[in-house]
Amino acid sequence: MENTAFNIEYKPRTGSEAMCEALLDEGVDYLFGYPGGAIMPFYHALGDYPLKHILTRHEQAAAHAADGYARATGRVGVCVATSGPGATNLVTGLATAQMDSVPLVAITGQVGRPALGKDSFQETNVMGMTLPFTKHSFLVEDPDELYPTMRRAFEIARSGRPGPVLVDVPKDVQFAATNDNGYRRLREAPPPVESPGLERAAMLLRSAKRPLILAGHGVTLGGAEKELRLLAERTGIPVVTTLLGISAFPDDHPLYLGWPGMHGQASVNRAIDRSDLLFAVGMRFDDRITGAAHKFAREAKIIHIDVDPSELGKVIKPTVGIAADAKAAMRSILGHLDAPDESEGCGLWREELAKTQEPERRRKESARDEYGPIQVMEAIKAAAGPDLRLVTDVGQHQMWAAQFFEFTKANSHITSGGLGTMGFALPAAMGVAFAYPEDPVWVIAGDGGIQMNIQELATIRDFGLNIKVAVLNNGYLGMVRQWQQFFHNRRYSETPITGPDYEQLTAAYGLAGRTVSEGADVGVAVRWAQEQEGCTILDFHIDPEANVYPMIPSGMSVNEMIEEDGA
Amino acid sequence: MPEAATGVAMNTIEVRFTGGMLALNRLLMTLQNKRMPVAGFTLGRDGDGMRATILLDCQPESALRYTALISALEDVSEAGPAETIEVAMISTSGDWREAAERSGIEAHEDEGTVVASGASEKVDDFLATLGARDVVRLGPVARPEGGV
Repeated sequence: MENTAFNIEYKPRTGSEAMCEALLDEGVDYLFGYPGGAIMPFYHALGDYPLKHILTRHEQAAAHAADGYARATGRVGVCVATSGPGATNLVTGLATAQMDSVPLVAITGQVGRPALGKDSFQETNVMGMTLPFTKHSFLVEDPDELYPTMRRAFEIARSGRPGPVLVDVPKDVQFAATNDNGYRRLREAPPPVESPGLERAAMLLRSAKRPLILAGHGVTLGGAEKELRLLAERTGIPVVTTLLGISAFPDDHPLYLGWPGMHGQASVNRAIDRSDLLFAVGMRFDDRITGAAHKFAREAKIIHIDVDPSELGKVIKPTVGIAADAKAAMRSILGHLDAPDESEGCGLWREELAKTQEPERRRKESARDEYGPIQVMEAIKAAAGPDLRLVTDVGQHQMWAAQFFEFTKANSHITSGGLGTMGFALPAAMGVAFAYPEDPVWVIAGDGGIQMNIQELATIRDFGLNIKVAVLNNGYLGMVRQWQQFFHNRRYSETPITGPDYEQLTAAYGLAGRTVSEGADVGVAVRWAQEQEGCTILDFHIDPEANVYPMIPSGMSVNEMIEEDGA
Repeated sequence: MPEAATGVAMNTIEVRFTGGMLALNRLLMTLQNKRMPVAGFTLGRDGDGMRATILLDCQPESALRYTALISALEDVSEAGPAETIEVAMISTSGDWREAAERSGIEAHEDEGTVVASGASEKVDDFLATLGARDVVRLGPVARPEGGV
């Protein structure tokens, strides 16, 4: 078609161009990906658009990086892979995002439409493969549907309970001319629901004598940190968080108690056991929190607020169940709570709780002088300052970090909670560092998990990301070893693990690293790392048989908790 | 563990969805993934897309939660409770029309076989009245909207 007035030739856009335009229209700035045969047309078009592509060294890392970016910013993360092995490599990343309700759009190339279903080279049924852990998925066979489908994918990923959405695009569709640029909302978001439960929840909050607020990831995802704080301060009710809820409420706030669960604080587990009202918001009663669900918070009435109605009653039957966004629900409840001094019984309850926390506080104080994980955490906290963004991997170090760091900045603790994905931290930290290049970003990982995506040091170096890594190296898959110690008669079957010399490894990648083996060097090494330009790795050789305490064995209750003194 | 079958509480959900095989695959995967206690599943298609009627053997409040979960699927345009009925196929020489009317069930004859459907206790009453000699009972099934 030609516009004769201006002598401009209008060419129809290709599918790839429509995809790029949709990304731009969604405000995407970073994509994390890895090219390959079936996604080549998209990569060809990408260069013509102001979209920053980060070439990772593995597709799994691309998914985790997009995940880290999404968790840190609250925006939709984007990752890209080719068909076949490229797509299968995304799977762990998608499952990680799904379990923790992280908004992600994954774009995969697919073999051309004529080759579909014929076991063609690098063909996999990625839609079928990812059905259980994507919020939705599209196979786009009509080029005219590419642009609206891409837009729709973003809308689905971020709406309601966020999650990953897959868009699988056959190669010939990426090449094809597209005509339709229109974006139609296929389904309007449901209007906010006024629940009669909100007033009842407020009434229960007013009358409880031993109430607790239990805040989860939904508070962060819903941007409801302010409402959580207001609610706590107006009622004087102490706050505990889930693992993913850490940093939704400031750790240094006098109403903050800590986090419960398998490796949560003993005092917090006991507080839940003693409570008469649990205000659970944006959380899903994960089995790592409840242990034996039938023994969990037996004396408590439960108010459960979650944006996903199917979570209400899934594990714990609530007294009041409210299917609503955390922010909107807490705002509404605040409207029903007039005077700040109505929960008269709360003062005594707070005093009781403070006493139960005292022994833990003393233990923590004394552990600061011993070489080990706590000392490392303290040194990082001091060197990085209050703007620290901490990304942890999965295992013992993850629990130590959650126990001993103090998170005063909202959404500054990022970890894989639901899926427990080893290898998550290093690539996820890349996403965080791209989102907040000025903030100090630290990774804490074990010597098992760090090796699962260690190849990303090359990506980190290429982009000069200022990520500091602390490896808590005990020569074991530590958490599994701990379970073997407790429950398998110390038969350390296949848990001893070796790794590289991290000083040499970092040097090979053009980075810097140090090994630390004693307490006197911890502070110096951490300060050195903090002062370096770019990425550094500190390899802390710690006690091989250090354990995480307390521990509630899987499927048991607070009464079966194993504590450090052997109790 | 899947939710234990109650054997007493059959809940029917009717689900309308578009998206063809991929959407059906997602629905089935969701049923399996969340270990829903599916006791029956029938599928139909009409002008609005596909229609699945799912019989869940669980307490009503669990069925409500499962319905919420299914409703949240992107392909699903509608999901809600539907009617559960008993279906029996019988061979009889008796006056089945009058018996059906008296018992308050629906029945029709197809090549010598009477197909009767309705609430379980009404079908029991119908069969007892008729003294049918050859009966096949399908057990509780979902009644698709507009169908028998």
